[in-house]
Amino acid sequence: MNAKAEAVVIAMIEDDEGHARLIEKNLQRAGVTNELRHFSNGTEALKFLLEAGAEHAFALLILLDLNLPDMSGIDVLAKIKAHPDLKRAPVIVLTTTDDEREILRCYDLGCNVYITKPVNYESFSQAIRQLGLFLSVIAVPQV
Amino acid sequence: MAQAGSVLTGRGILMLLLGGLMLVIICIASIWLGDRTTKYTGALQQAYNLRVGTGRLMNGLKDAETGQRGYLLTTDPGYLAPYKAALASLPTTLRDLRSAATHEVDQAMVAELSTVVDQKLAELAETIRLQEAGQTAQALDLVRTDAGKNVMDHARQIATNLVASADADVAVQVRTMHRNSLGVQTAAIAGSVLVLVLFGGFTWTIARYNRELQRASAAVEELNRGLEERVEQRTADLKQANDEIQRFAYIVSHDLRAPLVNIMGFTAELDAGLKSLQAFTDIVSAQLPQAVTPEVHHTAMADVPEALSFIRASTTKMDRLISAILKLSREGRRSLSIERVDMTSLLHTILDSVRHQIVDAGVDVRLEGQIPTLISDRVILEQIFSNLIDNAVKYLDPKRSGKITISGRVDTGYAVFLVVDNGRGIDPKDYERIFELFRRSGTQDRPGEGIGLAHVRTLVRRLGGDITVSSVLGQGTTFNVRLPRITKNQVET
Repeated sequence: MNAKAEAVVIAMIEDDEGHARLIEKNLQRAGVTNELRHFSNGTEALKFLLEAGAEHAFALLILLDLNLPDMSGIDVLAKIKAHPDLKRAPVIVLTTTDDEREILRCYDLGCNVYITKPVNYESFSQAIRQLGLFLSVIAVPQV
Repeated sequence: MAQAGSVLTGRGILMLLLGGLMLVIICIASIWLGDRTTKYTGALQQAYNLRVGTGRLMNGLKDAETGQRGYLLTTDPGYLAPYKAALASLPTTLRDLRSAATHEVDQAMVAELSTVVDQKLAELAETIRLQEAGQTAQALDLVRTDAGKNVMDHARQIATNLVASADADVAVQVRTMHRNSLGVQTAAIAGSVLVLVLFGGFTWTIARYNRELQRASAAVEELNRGLEERVEQRTADLKQANDEIQRFAYIVSHDLRAPLVNIMGFTAELDAGLKSLQAFTDIVSAQLPQAVTPEVHHTAMADVPEALSFIRASTTKMDRLISAILKLSREGRRSLSIERVDMTSLLHTILDSVRHQIVDAGVDVRLEGQIPTLISDRVILEQIFSNLIDNAVKYLDPKRSGKITISGRVDTGYAVFLVVDNGRGIDPKDYERIFELFRRSGTQDRPGEGIGLAHVRTLVRRLGGDITVSSVLGQGTTFNVRLPRITKNQVET
């Protein structure tokens, strides 16, 4: 993994503690050592993201769940993609919803990858591990 | 309403008939009166002739007497002119009188008068003959006997009676005629009034009937409009309720899925952890056997793996069920892609896909009847019929060779398809149950989740159709699928 990619901070917006832990575990297993920030609601996440975006402090990779307690993940996505700087940060929607319209909406709003959380754990960890791979190959723009 | 109408028209027709009858009666009465009037006019003419004839006879008689008197006084035969004229006219006058006398009384009187006239004329002739013979004195003596005068008085008496009789006859005739005409007039007036009343009644009845008809049709129209509104309202309500259920199912299945991801994920983590624990147990029991009690060993090697496998199996099943609910709710929301679908080739394609099962089980499959072509959603139709055909093949009775018949026909705007098998059949109490999600019927010796028919019913309804089942347990099952020939594409929001 290149140094540039290692500097990327992963912002995980996920209200389900269990899911968050499973994602974290699988990322670690995939050898992803990047800083991982976990937010369990949209408000906190947006606050952090907007500040980070304003400070241009570090590159971001956003993992976004759509089912959040305080707002829809779609709204979070819309706000990120409407932000002049944040909009360039790659957003990976990682959610249980596999509704076609929902997926299309996310892509329309500018999400980079849409991953459905498979109930089957093998597939789940596979998907997360591939994220690590993804992280190692993508050129994450500096926010 | 129709009954009231027929009663009304019945009454109206009765009135019309009565009115017609009255008119006929009035006509007959008028004809009768005319006939009677003609008769009376004839009778009156006779009476008039009798009266006039009597007068003429008496005048003739008087003329004859006047002529005789003049001749006797003057002995101038020139004075005999009235006598001669009367003598000439009297027989005609008498004949006329006789023919004018119709009543027996009158005829008797005329006969008497005629005798008297003869007597008078004889007396007159005698005196004239004496005078002509120059025996004036004898002639005058004869006059003086008053015989002539008496005869004349007698004649006058008879004439007066005749005239009175004629007058009386006229009076009677006129009275009768008056009475008749009055009767007919009264009848005519009464009839006319009745006709008018009947006509009025008829008109009123018809008017009332019309009014009622109008009111009824207005009421029906109003009701119709209300009904349409109600149906629209209900449809909208139902659609909303259905949408809500769909959304509910969708949300629930998603929200159920999230914890399931955890259960399955951490079960896998536990499993992974267990592997190292088991390895550790093996090492310890090999190096330090007393440290590993049979209980610990059993827990690590059997109890925990068993618990984990049950958790895993349950969560897997739950995942399938949730997926089924999700699929159903999605089918209900999916937008349709309407095209022309040749059902014969569609059914053949489905049958080809299960060909090996059909051949293996030795099933006799037939397509029968005119299978209609639909304007509908091909994917949904494929799912409906492949589910039904799968079921037919799956639930055949192993005791007899399978037979599956698929037939189609057109029923006005609908196409009706029958999928008939001779399989194990379905208990009538389960007819509704089999269409419910996760419910199955009969011996549970075939794999399945109880999803297929629930899915089929949702799809059939999605196309605006309906599906029913009829079956005899142990003999076979018929699924009746009724689909609109043309499915309208409602844009789902």
